[in-house]
Amino acid sequence: MNFLKIACLLAAGALMAIALPGALLAQGQGVDARTLLHPPADSWPSYHGDYSGRRHSSLTQITPQNVKDLTLAWAFQTDQSAQIKSSPLLVDGILYFTVPDNIWAVDARSAHQIWHYTYPPNKGNHIGNRGVAMYKGYLFFMAPDAHLVSLNAKEGTVRWIVSVADATKGYWTTMAPLVVGDRVIIGVSGDLDNLTGYIRSIDPQTGATQWQWNATPPPGTPKGTTGGTMWMTGTYDPDLNLVYWGTGNPTPVLNGSTRPGDNLYTCSIVAINPDTGKLVWSFQVSPHDTHDWDAVEIPVLVDAEFHGEPRKMLMQTSRNGYFFVLDRTTGKNLVTAPFGPVNWSLGVDEQGRPIPNPAKEPAPDGRLIAPDEGGLTNYRSPSFDTKNGLFIVDAHPSYSIYFAKPADGVYGWAGADYGVWGKGVIEAIDYQTGKIRWSHELGPEGSGAGVLTTDSGLTFTGDAQGNFLALDSSDGKTLWHVGSGAHIQSSPITYQLDGRQYLLTSSGGVLFAWALPQT
Amino acid sequence: MQRRRIPCGTNCLRSTLQRRALLAAMLLGSLAVSAAQAPKTPTPTPSTRSGAGQSSTPARKSYAPAVIETGKSLFQQNCSFCHGRDAGGGESGPDLTRSKLVTQDVAGDKIGAVVRNGRPEKGMPRFDFSDRQIAGLTAFIHTQQNVALTRKGGRKGVDVSDLQTGNAEAGKQYFDGAGGCAACHSPAGDLAGIASRYKGLELEEQMLYPKHPKSSVTVTLASGQTITGILEYLDEFTVGLVDSTGVYRSWRTADVQYEVDAPVNAHVDLFGKYTDADIHNLMAYLQTLR
Repeated sequence: MNFLKIACLLAAGALMAIALPGALLAQGQGVDARTLLHPPADSWPSYHGDYSGRRHSSLTQITPQNVKDLTLAWAFQTDQSAQIKSSPLLVDGILYFTVPDNIWAVDARSAHQIWHYTYPPNKGNHIGNRGVAMYKGYLFFMAPDAHLVSLNAKEGTVRWIVSVADATKGYWTTMAPLVVGDRVIIGVSGDLDNLTGYIRSIDPQTGATQWQWNATPPPGTPKGTTGGTMWMTGTYDPDLNLVYWGTGNPTPVLNGSTRPGDNLYTCSIVAINPDTGKLVWSFQVSPHDTHDWDAVEIPVLVDAEFHGEPRKMLMQTSRNGYFFVLDRTTGKNLVTAPFGPVNWSLGVDEQGRPIPNPAKEPAPDGRLIAPDEGGLTNYRSPSFDTKNGLFIVDAHPSYSIYFAKPADGVYGWAGADYGVWGKGVIEAIDYQTGKIRWSHELGPEGSGAGVLTTDSGLTFTGDAQGNFLALDSSDGKTLWHVGSGAHIQSSPITYQLDGRQYLLTSSGGVLFAWALPQT
Repeated sequence: MQRRRIPCGTNCLRSTLQRRALLAAMLLGSLAVSAAQAPKTPTPTPSTRSGAGQSSTPARKSYAPAVIETGKSLFQQNCSFCHGRDAGGGESGPDLTRSKLVTQDVAGDKIGAVVRNGRPEKGMPRFDFSDRQIAGLTAFIHTQQNVALTRKGGRKGVDVSDLQTGNAEAGKQYFDGAGGCAACHSPAGDLAGIASRYKGLELEEQMLYPKHPKSSVTVTLASGQTITGILEYLDEFTVGLVDSTGVYRSWRTADVQYEVDAPVNAHVDLFGKYTDADIHNLMAYLQTLR
């Protein structure tokens, strides 16, 4: 880049700052409650970009007509073998993103590394990290060994570190925390052991615990279940003052004999008052799960008409293969519909919950199950396209065989399962009926890319081979692609900086920024 | 090197009827292809081939406790999520104590290659581990395999003896009738001796969906010239094949017409039709083809 271009960029930046006084005021202050409630176009201040989890942007500079011209603005190499599974934050022109044990602060204009923090070597589970949260001038990061780290965002220096669970018992943490008011809400992972899953509210200043909500009773409770880990970031409705969270699968995972009944509150969507930590309502998407289909997938909040009536809704494409629409004020079920091959249920009960077929529980001689254990979708974000009224999800039609026998015991996994076949498909679901309006094949095994939609009518995602894709949101046709050279394990984000709309995607250990060519 | 499995996607233009006709005509059934990739004279490997009551264990190297401990720690941090804390299988990753590759591994020669290269097509990332770390991992995994093989009170995971609940005669009827298997496969042809090449879970997995199936593709260039080969790569934008001379060639899908013949898709069609009893009966029948 030559100096003339830099001068132009600087001038453009100055113009934008004048045009967006809100952004200018926020400079250097980090994220406040107002930013989180009404994120400016030049920010992506939380994991989902906003509290709704819709991953839908109002930006329209990149359109179905010009997306074919999208070009690389920059790429950032982490030089790590760990794959990027995080969503970056963009605050005050700086991107913050992670892999396990690592945080980078990078200039969103140049990919210049401002700082790189590494957490000390530890024995925690390094399966992934989904990113940081920010409040005021501080970042919040979950370490593999179940600690919450607060850092000064300017230098990446540690302010405090608190333990949130006992890693020696088998807990670990991966999630991007959710900031609601003066609270940092975190959840824990760990279904290799029989442990209680929970979310905990932590004081962003001191690290002190404010409340904890347990999904299941303590280990050893007679006929009780364990599990219900809450390892993905929830969503928040400020008007109802409720946070929404999906809970994980029960443990022992594949053998349900020691935990008869529905196993509340595992595999559930729960609404919790963030001030008190009290449960307001719950809806169980998989009663008595024996297939590891946690319900932690994003609870997406949508305000729209449902069969002619304005409704405050919550939508989830769940790992168990069903698409759910709930009234998020009451938790009442509005739609339950499979969005791909599902062969484990006997139908849907009067509450809208799938009824598990006992004949499809794991058995010594094996049971053919759809979907596979990774589920019909997993942690990568779906998107709700407000313009077309479509819930767009990276789906994984798949089959597997599930086994369990007495020798497998009743602790942890307690069985064995083997995927036999799967593929990836982007599905656009009509939220009022659960019917699939269009679908777009992604290739064998499946894709690990999440979905982002924009008001201009674009759907951004990726395929099984590592191509980044832009699709037409109205029909799923491909409008742009580029091979990234590695598998994609993250969900895209977008923002407008210096008047230029950027699309951020990652694959392998590389973060890519895309934009229209500058004239 | 593993070939990536590429079933026919949206771009497969052939109708089901045409495909069925070709399926029948194709001598290279997918099971036969897989079978051809298996070792001609398989070495007995107790971890994957032990039958009911068979408890003999191979003479195994023992490792220094410190080395095992290094490997254990590394395994918990990086491998346990998918392969289980005891290496006995977990979320999405296979049971390493029953892995043929682990059984055949000598001092990390096979395990090290998989760990460092990953298996991206299976979702396994690569890990940049040092020789010392690989040695630790190898020591831990082999030790866990020894523990599993000598475990009292029955082995965890899937034994050959677990997969004997079907009825061979019913399986044969399904094979010849409703399953449609006989359209591509024959007990005297490609499946002759299949039960000697594969056993237990491995046989069932091959039966349900063979590993590394080969598909053929015919590409028609704008000039009208056609090239047929083994399909090597296909996404929406690029089609690649290995031609009869062993050369890899590719084209933009926008510039050519192509037709994929993926006989393995007949296996996918069956997933929605099988009952569990059908699968167990088919297993019983295939196990008679020694």
